[in-house]
Amino acid sequence: MDSLHGILHGLAIAGTPTHLLYTLIGVFIGTMISHLPGIGPSAGIALLIPVTFGMDPITALMMLTGIYYGCMYGGAVTAILLNTPGDAAAVMTVLDGYPLARKGRAAATLAIAAVSSFIAGMIGVTALSFVALPLAAVALHFGPTEYFALILFALTTVSALTGNSLAKGMIATLIGLALATIGIDLQSGVPRFTMGFTELQDRVNFLVVVVGLFAISEVSRMVEGTMGGTLHTVKVKGKLWFTRAEWKRARPAALRGTVVGFLCGAAPGLGGTLAAMLSYVLEKKISKHPEEFGHGAIEGVAAPEAATNADSCGAFVHLLALGVPGSGATAVLMGAFIMYGIQPGPMLFTSQPDLVWGLIASMYVGNIMLLVLNLPLVGLLSRILYVPPGVLLCVVLGIATAGVYSFNNDVFDLYMALGFGVIGYGFRKLDIPKAPLLFGLILGHTLEQSFRQALTLSNSDPRVFLQSPIAAGLLVCSMISVIASVWTNRKPSKAFQEAEARIEETKHLEAERLVEEPR
Amino acid sequence: MNTKKPDVWLALCVIAGALVYLYSDLHMPVMRSGDPLGPRAFPALIGGGLLFAGALLLVETYRKARAEAAVRVRTEAAARAPSEAAPRAPSEAAPRAPSQAATLAPSEAAPRSHDDIRKGRHQTVVLLAMVVWTALYYTAFEPVGYLVSTAVFLGGLLSYFHRGHYRTNLLVALGFVVIVDLVFSRLLNVPLPAGILSL
Repeated sequence: MDSLHGILHGLAIAGTPTHLLYTLIGVFIGTMISHLPGIGPSAGIALLIPVTFGMDPITALMMLTGIYYGCMYGGAVTAILLNTPGDAAAVMTVLDGYPLARKGRAAATLAIAAVSSFIAGMIGVTALSFVALPLAAVALHFGPTEYFALILFALTTVSALTGNSLAKGMIATLIGLALATIGIDLQSGVPRFTMGFTELQDRVNFLVVVVGLFAISEVSRMVEGTMGGTLHTVKVKGKLWFTRAEWKRARPAALRGTVVGFLCGAAPGLGGTLAAMLSYVLEKKISKHPEEFGHGAIEGVAAPEAATNADSCGAFVHLLALGVPGSGATAVLMGAFIMYGIQPGPMLFTSQPDLVWGLIASMYVGNIMLLVLNLPLVGLLSRILYVPPGVLLCVVLGIATAGVYSFNNDVFDLYMALGFGVIGYGFRKLDIPKAPLLFGLILGHTLEQSFRQALTLSNSDPRVFLQSPIAAGLLVCSMISVIASVWTNRKPSKAFQEAEARIEETKHLEAERLVEEPR
Repeated sequence: MNTKKPDVWLALCVIAGALVYLYSDLHMPVMRSGDPLGPRAFPALIGGGLLFAGALLLVETYRKARAEAAVRVRTEAAARAPSEAAPRAPSEAAPRAPSQAATLAPSEAAPRSHDDIRKGRHQTVVLLAMVVWTALYYTAFEPVGYLVSTAVFLGGLLSYFHRGHYRTNLLVALGFVVIVDLVFSRLLNVPLPAGILSL
């Protein structure tokens, strides 16, 4: 089946009433989640995986994927109205989105963000449809040696590029890999690192780790928000459309952002944050009015929003074609695939064409639904911003508890999730990225199996990894990513630092203004 | 140097954890049925990697502390410069200081006030209390049952974090547990523990 036939076949599957309904539910929930500061797509998907138990895998994965890109779509709302990025990728949107909202252009800015996201989403899914299949055909020739090198490459890229420190990225990845070794070893039957707990013999439950790290630990951020009292919302007022002049400036920025975003997404480990940042810096560099950036340039909203959404489509290229996630959220999605007994990778296109093409086609449908949801209903949906954080954190904890317990009906999982919540808090305070841990946990098993199979086939000769040109090339790329990270004496990029500093500064000024007003 | 302390502790904890992991790996029974590597080899590589990462973090922390000390010395020199050589210094030395200071984290760039420290401590106490409260809830989850334990747990949290809104809090706590119980038990066929209500 070629790509065009695949898309048409997928549209027939995604167009059934059940799939349409669940795609709508997914994108709606994703949009709602994106409006909750602190709850990112990873936590959102993890919290809702238990709700999909008992569903048909295609329906469930369409809904979970909808949550993912729905989250990416709606991340701009908190950035524009609340001066708080819904997730790290929306940091750049805050820079110009919030000043525009303060100037009374909140509705128009939200509309620009929605339309840019829509354009990027549609182009991104089309590119995904035509790139993933040839890549999967190449990957079909991969053996355990190539797979080992590919996964190692993904892990080193994530370690080297996520967060502010190579050592911390490596620590997170290796902790994830160590967690993946817990349980009975399938080849020898030996229980490893179970510490006498029978519950751990069947490996560490991925859902428990994700909910703990991404949902329960985020509650701590809400607690800090509740006690810090730093949320000041700009109300959505006026006509929900942009002017012709605004659109003329935003359109090319959105298209450039789409290209940057898709390329970043297609490279494992780069992620939406880098995509948004690169597109923002590019726009500022080529703009005729660079002085407007940071004070309300419409391109500063259109480009990063398009990049973030195109990045989420790019991330599906290697998830579907190679079985390697590209970001924390796609790692959670990959975990969901595995929970349904589906191994993402090149075989997926031949063994599960209904699933893979249905999923891709549902992204076209979901994008249209998101545009409808985000344009006329944005005023209504943004009311979720007014839910008191104190109530929200209780709801998140309640859903997390019910979801984790329902997975195995075992209180042990709840204690584990709480433990991972505490670890997640520690990670945040120590500035350790969480996504590499998830990568390590999800890919660790396949990495070990490929490693052992490759060495078994070569009679324990480690040179096997250098004899295959693909494997050797990927290992060289891994080395380069690590060396480059050490060589550049890595610091958070200047643009990103400036963005975060400016958000903090604006919040501080807002807080001071509010304190002074009653006087 | 003081601000780098958590990273030093983290590095030491990682190294200690790696040693414990490697020790457990070394004492694992070996059964090599057609597998030349056995179950120990891969974890040994991970343990070695963790040791390396811990050591790398120590090196990174040392390098960052040295770089920051150098920046501080330059900033202080630049601050002194205008008073000593006012006519020629401003264009060279002074503008560098803010950009370099901007590369430091907020906590490093400016000392925290007493108020911030007090607020930080209060938040830590509240978070610790939340962890204990959640652990108690999980202990009571099966014996007491989902409905009762969750309503009490949420009621407790809401009465602290959403103070004064008694009616809303009661409605949220009760409404939430009833809806979740109905969704899981009726729609998803995943019954949550009934506990004391099953009697």
